[in-house]
Amino acid sequence: MNVSLKRIQAIFIKDYKEFSRNYAVSIMIVFPIVFALLYRTEAGDQAAIYAFIMNFSLAMLTSFVQACLIAEEKERNTLRSLMMTPASMLDVLIGKSALVFLISAAVLAFTTYLFGYETSNVLLLTAALGISILLYTAIGTICGLYSKTLLEASLSVFPVLIIFTAGPFALSFEEQYPFLEVLRYLPSSQLSELLMAMEVGAASGDLAKPLVIIAVWTIVVTIISFVLYKKRLMDQ
Amino acid sequence: MNAISVQNIQKAFGGNMALKDVSFEIPKGEIFGFLGPSGSGKTTLLKILTAQLEATDGHAAVMEMPSRMMQKTAQKRRFGILTDNSGLYERLSIEENLDVFRRLYDLPKSSIDQVLHFVNLNTDRKKRVSVLSKGMRQRVTLACAIIHEPELLFLDEPTSALDPVNTAHIHKGLRYLNERGTTIFLTTHDMTEAESLCERVAILHKGEIRAIGAPDELKKIHRDGTLTVELTSGEKERLSMDEDSAAAIAGWMSRGQIDRMYTNELSLGDIFIKLTGSELV
Repeated sequence: MNVSLKRIQAIFIKDYKEFSRNYAVSIMIVFPIVFALLYRTEAGDQAAIYAFIMNFSLAMLTSFVQACLIAEEKERNTLRSLMMTPASMLDVLIGKSALVFLISAAVLAFTTYLFGYETSNVLLLTAALGISILLYTAIGTICGLYSKTLLEASLSVFPVLIIFTAGPFALSFEEQYPFLEVLRYLPSSQLSELLMAMEVGAASGDLAKPLVIIAVWTIVVTIISFVLYKKRLMDQ
Repeated sequence: MNAISVQNIQKAFGGNMALKDVSFEIPKGEIFGFLGPSGSGKTTLLKILTAQLEATDGHAAVMEMPSRMMQKTAQKRRFGILTDNSGLYERLSIEENLDVFRRLYDLPKSSIDQVLHFVNLNTDRKKRVSVLSKGMRQRVTLACAIIHEPELLFLDEPTSALDPVNTAHIHKGLRYLNERGTTIFLTTHDMTEAESLCERVAILHKGEIRAIGAPDELKKIHRDGTLTVELTSGEKERLSMDEDSAAAIAGWMSRGQIDRMYTNELSLGDIFIKLTGSELV
């Protein structure tokens, strides 16, 4: 495996500069913060609202930014130029993903603080959000790879946003439409369940199950994104 | 020692043969031109040589390594590539674009100053790429391709759509690089560019090499064996190169009637048309 920290750092710095100057993309960091301020509450459904904000932010920030970063490189032919340098495919992918991970982690932490969400198990919450960021980064990679332009990439994230954010809410119709049961296994539904379970102080077994399901999603989607990334680059 | 050695390369896309049994060698230190119209197979060959494509058959070696090894990190450091669609980061300045490549090649910061001086963009280094003219962009792309001082430089139509001033500037830079030891493989459909830059050229048509050699050699091979004498009276005489013509020329010369005299050589473009029946730019 050909990976170099120096090259990853080069990609990271380059993408950070591009991100900070691309206001159409960097504006996305504002949405989670605005949502946190709008919906902050101390009522009993705090965990459910917090879960919605986190799920929305993961799709709208993490997946969106990653998809745009990758699609723009393709659109402007810079990815081909990069691949002619000593940078490997993994260097490029890790460099981009690292930036998106750090931005997402910082924004979600700040959002959590502004929202005023308090949990008895910070470690578990951090792990769940950390794994979810990795998952949504991989989803963003796939969206970016299948988009030819920045515009296509931004549109491609909307199905992800709708399915993953609305999924947990659709479960309230589960009794009328039993097939909706499948939505229970969405990572967003599992994150909601985990937060609810933490709220009521559930046993560790009940807490572990959602985390494991999210982790399985993350592993599978990350592997798919790596395979597709390699294949799509070779096809161009 | 050869920088590039290509033996019987073939490349098929579905049922279409993009390259048919192409063979040639380029010694180290040469500027070699690959000429042909769009779709003749130039870019396909360049992609095979830089391991972006695999040949269907045949063998290609670049710097004495099989060309498929050119995507290895150590090999990537040995060559640079500039294509007409090489991308730049629009929101970054010239200097920041070069800094990306400097870091990827693990070079000192001074390499940016050197390459900016080389492409004559030192005073514009803080300008964002998005505001640059096409000529300046092409010079930045060239700077990105040569910042690591490659042994071998692949150029795919480097001056297409550039004005004569920018073209001349890039040519000057390429000659300087070549003097410092860089082998240059140039694909172009611009005959003037090939004639002014290249020591040898190959003419590619429909995936086949139709002629290969120094531009002057090709002109000699394809000249028609006649010369034209322009007389002071304004008449033009086209003569074959034999004894009768020599006597006629001696007579005009003794009477001071010759204005000028030249052999009838074809230009590279004429040679291409003769060999392929296709028009070039």
